[in-house]
Amino acid sequence: MPDRLSTPGPRPAVLVYRHPAAPAPVLRQICAGVEEEGVPTDLVDAPGPGDATTLAHAAAGESRLGVGIGLAASGAAAVHHGTLPERAPVTVVPAESAPPEWRRVGRIAARVVKHLPLV
Amino acid sequence: MGAREGGPPEGLLVVGVDIGNSTTEASLAVVAPDGSITHLGTDLTRTTGVKGTPENTEGALKAIRGALARAGRSAGEVETVLLNEATPVISGLAMETITETIITESTMIGHNPTTPGGEGLGVGTTRSIGELREQPPGEPVVCVVPPGWDFDDAAAALNAAVADGVDVVAAILAGDDAVLVTNRLTRPIPVVDEVSAVEKVPLGMLAAVEVAAPGRTIRTLSNSYGLATVFGLDPTQTRQVSPVARALTGNRSAVVVRTPSGDVTDRRIPVGELVLRGAGKTLRVDVDAGAEAIMEVVGRAQPLDDAHGEPGTHVGGMLAQVRDTMADVMDIAGQPDVPVSEIAIRDVLAVDTFVPAEVRGGLAGEVALENAVALAAMVRTSRSRMQLVADLVSEGLGAAAEIGGVEGEMAVGGALTTPGVDRPVAVLDLGGGSTDAALLTREGECTAVHVAGAGELVTKLIDSELALGDREVAEGVKWFPLGKVESFFHLRHEDGTVEFVDEPLPPHVFARVVVLTPDGPAPVPTRHGLDHVRRVRREAKRRVFVVNALRALRQVAPGGNLRALEFVVLLGGSALDFEIPDMIADALAPHGIVCGTGNVLGTEGPRNAVASGLVRAHAALLAEQARCPTG
Repeated sequence: MPDRLSTPGPRPAVLVYRHPAAPAPVLRQICAGVEEEGVPTDLVDAPGPGDATTLAHAAAGESRLGVGIGLAASGAAAVHHGTLPERAPVTVVPAESAPPEWRRVGRIAARVVKHLPLV
Repeated sequence: MGAREGGPPEGLLVVGVDIGNSTTEASLAVVAPDGSITHLGTDLTRTTGVKGTPENTEGALKAIRGALARAGRSAGEVETVLLNEATPVISGLAMETITETIITESTMIGHNPTTPGGEGLGVGTTRSIGELREQPPGEPVVCVVPPGWDFDDAAAALNAAVADGVDVVAAILAGDDAVLVTNRLTRPIPVVDEVSAVEKVPLGMLAAVEVAAPGRTIRTLSNSYGLATVFGLDPTQTRQVSPVARALTGNRSAVVVRTPSGDVTDRRIPVGELVLRGAGKTLRVDVDAGAEAIMEVVGRAQPLDDAHGEPGTHVGGMLAQVRDTMADVMDIAGQPDVPVSEIAIRDVLAVDTFVPAEVRGGLAGEVALENAVALAAMVRTSRSRMQLVADLVSEGLGAAAEIGGVEGEMAVGGALTTPGVDRPVAVLDLGGGSTDAALLTREGECTAVHVAGAGELVTKLIDSELALGDREVAEGVKWFPLGKVESFFHLRHEDGTVEFVDEPLPPHVFARVVVLTPDGPAPVPTRHGLDHVRRVRREAKRRVFVVNALRALRQVAPGGNLRALEFVVLLGGSALDFEIPDMIADALAPHGIVCGTGNVLGTEGPRNAVASGLVRAHAALLAEQARCPTG
């Protein structure tokens, strides 16, 4: 069972499942992307062998908004929605991407929540 | 129709071929000596080359062979191939912007970032974030943040300055960070972000930044007197800044910088004069007077003999280009070139439109809707090269080929095979380049007209009014109904019905306005909602096809009276459109006209009218010869 870092608030949030070894700057930019769109995030530590897509799928299944972000130890990230098949995430960004790409991961997760085009 | 019971039909095998601007159609039939017709099959293929040129041969042969293959006949059995006498009609299109918005000396930023930060109005002197400490305490300052500043660093610098007593009242950011910065400030201020050319914001000037609450629009900077209050303007200056207020109306956020000579101007561009000759008169009209004025003058000069544009102007260049293209099409190798002076523009359609254009001098890619006039011009010449096509088809197929009749008359003949139609009948051929009308009276007299403007113009209007910049996407918007993808598993159609899908919809269409193509939903790249896109599409169709249907039918109707028409049959590619036939039928209904999409031979829909008409005309000729043999 993953460890919840931030206490779940009364409001639903985008869940971020991150591997404890995931690079901090990547996590910071992803969370900034969600915040800029005005959507809350809850952070959950998820140690284990899963890749970004697996983590994102698990997060989306837990999130009351149905939207999850997975951040693997490598720095790869993915966005998932609870209605989608596990191997068909909304988007995946490989490790070693540029900061604007990480920001985009957060923005896309927030925009799935807000039902806005994923740009 | 003359099919004998049992055994194959007896008679001559003939093929009617209609070479159109975009499609070539064939109709295969057996004609008995008494003139009765047995239809065997039809075929349709893309026209090769420009209509009326030898390049058409390839497409014609393909259509003929296709029809033969379907009927199980061979080329050797064909007695005669009948080709249409195509009236060489080509059309040219041009779009001329007649207004232009220019921002001088960076007076304003009037774009709509999706996520501005904070709310309210802040008025102060512009300072770069690195020079905040130089601002004397107590004097309000608007902080300008260049690209490359991290949101945490920017927020920390602003908080430190505020702690030192600097009165920071607003901020302008280059990046998409407004909410992030605002969330980290000790004192809330309005923040406008995504200002791509932030380095052009003049520093040391008085500026006002306004951000409205979500779902609201700015109240102060979009109001002339609000600007006068903020900047302390006198009545003369207020008059000068009123275009700024107008340009900012409807935005959620805005910045106005007061510079000594900054301004927003709304300029009208001289486009040139259109000179129309016809009905024994020569009339002139300024193109920037708009479509209504132009069409009123075109109406007075009807029938039009020729049209010219003032040399050296946009309209002059456009009409000259249409003429040159036509001259090239009509040139035959080994014969003298067609003189450009022999080519006359016989109709013009003007349509008012608007073009979203990036504002010159803008700092954040601001877009203003500029007025424009779209012109479609149509050219006819007396020369046709169909005989050459006939000779080449004859050679290629090994059968006789001849010109079987004039397009308009043949179309009416084909339309008469639509169940429920009788004389007098008018056809409206809704094509790509021109809209054609022909009338067959009870007495058997036929008149035909071609008017400029059809499907291509509709596509162009949709393309420019939605700022798509992609002809293929515009074609999609024209041809297919719209929908909005509401989740990964359901989409709402433009009529409000909601459809659930079994396979998840791809992320690139999520929450988008889409066109529902046979290959699945395709996104329309626009920030506008479905209703706006739908309105633009329907208005484009109405302004071209409904206007032209009425214009063309009035020209063929006896005495110009639409009430004298009884049956109107819609033909051509655009008659297959999902809403154009209904729009035309609605417009004609008050005149007591029966109007609908044709169903040639009871099976072909609005297709194949000319090809089938050619066969009918040939059969009538054979029957005539059988009754009174020559020689």
